[in-house]
Amino acid sequence: MTVNPLTTYEGAVLGREVCKGVIHVTQSDIDDFCALFGYDDPAFRPDAPGGAVAPTSMGLTYGLRLGWEQQVFPPGVIRMGDENVHGHPVHAGDVLTTVLTIADRFEKKGRKFLSYEQVTRNQDGQMVCSITFAAILP
Amino acid sequence: MADIPLAQGMRLPHVEIEITQAMIDRYAAISGDFNPVHVDPDRAAASPFGSTIAHGCIPMEPLFQALARAMGRPLLPFGTRVSLRYRAPARPGDRIRVEGAVADRKDDAWQVPFACLNQSGQTVIDGTCLVPATDGQGAGPA
Repeated sequence: MTVNPLTTYEGAVLGREVCKGVIHVTQSDIDDFCALFGYDDPAFRPDAPGGAVAPTSMGLTYGLRLGWEQQVFPPGVIRMGDENVHGHPVHAGDVLTTVLTIADRFEKKGRKFLSYEQVTRNQDGQMVCSITFAAILP
Repeated sequence: MADIPLAQGMRLPHVEIEITQAMIDRYAAISGDFNPVHVDPDRAAASPFGSTIAHGCIPMEPLFQALARAMGRPLLPFGTRVSLRYRAPARPGDRIRVEGAVADRKDDAWQVPFACLNQSGQTVIDGTCLVPATDGQGAGPA
């Protein structure tokens, strides 16, 4: 798989949709995530009143997943920091759609930076997670 | 809308995770990030890191869990904003804990500076959380 030219420093177009991805969240996904990190609140279980929700950080993980699946980030890119906003909870059965854009492009001390923005919404259009992170390009 | 039960000076509860290669491998499957620097010990050994390193979200976990415990709820409130910087990689064998305390209430949000530290006291991640002072679920950013 080759890197999308819209995500290179030279080819990036600020604000233009680079790619979009869809994830179907299952109870099994939630169970796996909870087991991995030791979440044991009843709210994450399938018999929770109103249905299970996913831990907040799972929404973050799924928000980032599009970038890895579609190889958006050039090899050797170094993620410097994040600005994340957490919105509506993720439920088992949700269909999450993430859209990735390039939010900013700049040079500093001879290094090239891109700022990636990934916004994830559920099937009702509600914002689940917004992730903006700056990265040094190789 | 209910007030979020934070107060100035409140310290985040102790939460610590131990990072293992198995954890990193499982997280790679969940996140879709199979960068060799995370999952291929041989290639990672030849990289500038000298070993595999954890995905950036893994050492953030103590922060999420400590904030939720501090508020006595499973999820962070709608509109919680986390600004952070990655200071050092986290590696298999590291024990990562979070330290932080509620600093101030400003613009209807609690400010919670935090640092995720490894077993040597080295800062791996630091930053600030802005937690809405009231539970505004459904009324935050569109």
